[in-house]
Amino acid sequence: MTPALELDAISKVYPLADEDFYALREVSFDVPVGEYVALMGPSGSGKSTLMNLIGLLDTPTEGRALLAGQDAGDLDPEEQAAMRNRHVGFVFQSFHLLPRLSVRENVEVPLTYAGYRPSVRRRRALEVLDRVGLGDRVDHRPSQLSGGQRQRVAIARALAMNPSLLLADEPTGNLDSETGLEILTLFDELHAQGATIVMVTHEPDVAERCERVLRLRDGRLESDSQGRAAPAAA
Amino acid sequence: MNRAATLDATAGDPAGADPAASVADWFALEEPSGTTDTRAIVGIAWRSIRGNASRSLLTALGVIIGVAAVVALTAVGAGVTQNVTANLERLGTNLLTIGATVTRSSSGIVRSESSGITVGDAELLRSLQGLDGRILGVAPSVTSNLQVRAGGLNTTAQVLGTWPDYAPIRDLEVGAGTWWTDVDVESRARVAVVGHEIALELFPGLEPLGQSLTVGSHSFTVVGVLPDKGAGFGSPNRQIIVPLSTYLQRLARSQVAGGTSAQSVNQIFVRATEPDHLSALQSEVTRLLADDRGEFDLEALSFQVQNQADTLASLTAVSRTLTLFLGAIAGISLLVGGIGIMNIMLVSVTERTREIGIRKALGARPADIRLQFLVEAVVLAAGGGLLGLVVGAAGAHFVSPMLGVTSALTVAPMTVAFGVALFVGVVFGLYPAQRAARLDPVASLRHE
Repeated sequence: MTPALELDAISKVYPLADEDFYALREVSFDVPVGEYVALMGPSGSGKSTLMNLIGLLDTPTEGRALLAGQDAGDLDPEEQAAMRNRHVGFVFQSFHLLPRLSVRENVEVPLTYAGYRPSVRRRRALEVLDRVGLGDRVDHRPSQLSGGQRQRVAIARALAMNPSLLLADEPTGNLDSETGLEILTLFDELHAQGATIVMVTHEPDVAERCERVLRLRDGRLESDSQGRAAPAAA
Repeated sequence: MNRAATLDATAGDPAGADPAASVADWFALEEPSGTTDTRAIVGIAWRSIRGNASRSLLTALGVIIGVAAVVALTAVGAGVTQNVTANLERLGTNLLTIGATVTRSSSGIVRSESSGITVGDAELLRSLQGLDGRILGVAPSVTSNLQVRAGGLNTTAQVLGTWPDYAPIRDLEVGAGTWWTDVDVESRARVAVVGHEIALELFPGLEPLGQSLTVGSHSFTVVGVLPDKGAGFGSPNRQIIVPLSTYLQRLARSQVAGGTSAQSVNQIFVRATEPDHLSALQSEVTRLLADDRGEFDLEALSFQVQNQADTLASLTAVSRTLTLFLGAIAGISLLVGGIGIMNIMLVSVTERTREIGIRKALGARPADIRLQFLVEAVVLAAGGGLLGLVVGAAGAHFVSPMLGVTSALTVAPMTVAFGVALFVGVVFGLYPAQRAARLDPVASLRHE
């Protein structure tokens, strides 16, 4: 079975005046389909860089990153965008909803770039919004929603294209602990239904819910350990 | 369902969850077309324009003004040209006009005083008429604006002295009464044919025929009344036409000063029987008069013979130059309008950097982002162009009555102006759109 994500010795190098700075140095790991992985590390450890590489927002200097078996390294920006659209569902810390669009229209954005007809977009958006428990808020503006509801919209948007990988960057970072817990429960449910999730976090509580915890330090993979919610316990 | 099937193949179920409840199954999706829905992108651009309605209007203002200026100016210009052309055509197209040479000096346009077009010249041409079947008629004319009285009423009229041939030359049939004849010219009879308006003003509610009117200290009997020929340049409605001999003897101002200029006239009209004869006739008349005066340098004659076609041609040339000139001005204002659009679009790209980053993270291709901003610029330009057409047409409609002309909206300049506006939108929209398309997604997402 092809893993959802394969990283093969990827490095990200930023040339500086004196010497090259390695944001990531030969990081390798696979994420099998259906796994729920936490990516941890102190700030400056290369978490964000790694997340951008996994999400095809950036390209590695060396090594290969394969999403659903496809190498994005040789693709031009147009093809990369199409692949990102199809295989990656982003959930950001600060939600990143488009304020001028309604909840439903926000969820439709990735479907639009995939080329779905308006009727399909609409049906699909309502379907995923229903799934995250916002079926009754579809015509609201993001500004009319609470933080937890906004993050649910963002999750619905990430699910809309049925991606190979859900990529969540501190999804509870801007939420109070109770709302954060609700969001994490939603991720647990999605995981139980087969979603592959990579979650960047610095909170051990959050990481504990995952099957596997990857720790980064100074651009290197420091440890790769089983989480509390390992398959055996699932 | 294809999509669901492929995903199932890879999705599997390593975590031991019930396959029936897998995400792939749960969210069955058909295969996407893979190319972005262009209409949706146009919709995105349109919403952005509407969301910033007042700014959009201000952005498009340059184009609105540019297009409106083209439409209004060309419409009024075409109206003036049509008006003047119509009046010239009313003068008759088979017509030669012999007058003093017009010279331009630093103080403006000056008629050569020494030309001395005289009754003698007209008689010379009339003798030619007898030999030449190509000439329909010869009529000298001399005019001045004078006070005219009748009963207790008085008004100002253009009093014109001429020969009976003036009637067929200018197609002036009387509506009532008769034209005076050569006999009246011989006898210097004090008879007059009056224009429609003058008849109404001096003899309200009366039959004008047989009435008398007074010009200066001389009274004339009305023998004919002209029908209404419409207002405007060259209209006979405010004319009083009298025999040339009578005019020269009794009304000519130069007579007071004395001297030989008593036989002077302003112009001589010669009408050809056929338009085809006109240019041959023009050169023969010129040669005849030049010989008679002993002038041999054809480049420096004291008189000139013009035909209506020449006048129309020079008028057309002038109006074409004017149109080009207006077009150039309008082009410059459209250029300025385009720069305005580019300016605001660049600001907009900066302001919406985060939106661009989000869209890219969600799978917008650079081409999608480029199209979104390009459409926005083009819609602004096209909308401005359409508004400009309306404003320009309305402007022409309201301004032309003040200039005393009927504006004529013509399709060509409107099409060109709108086309140029569209072109400007594309050209000046490309650079900001390209910048938006090339933004780095990572940096854009962090942009506040």
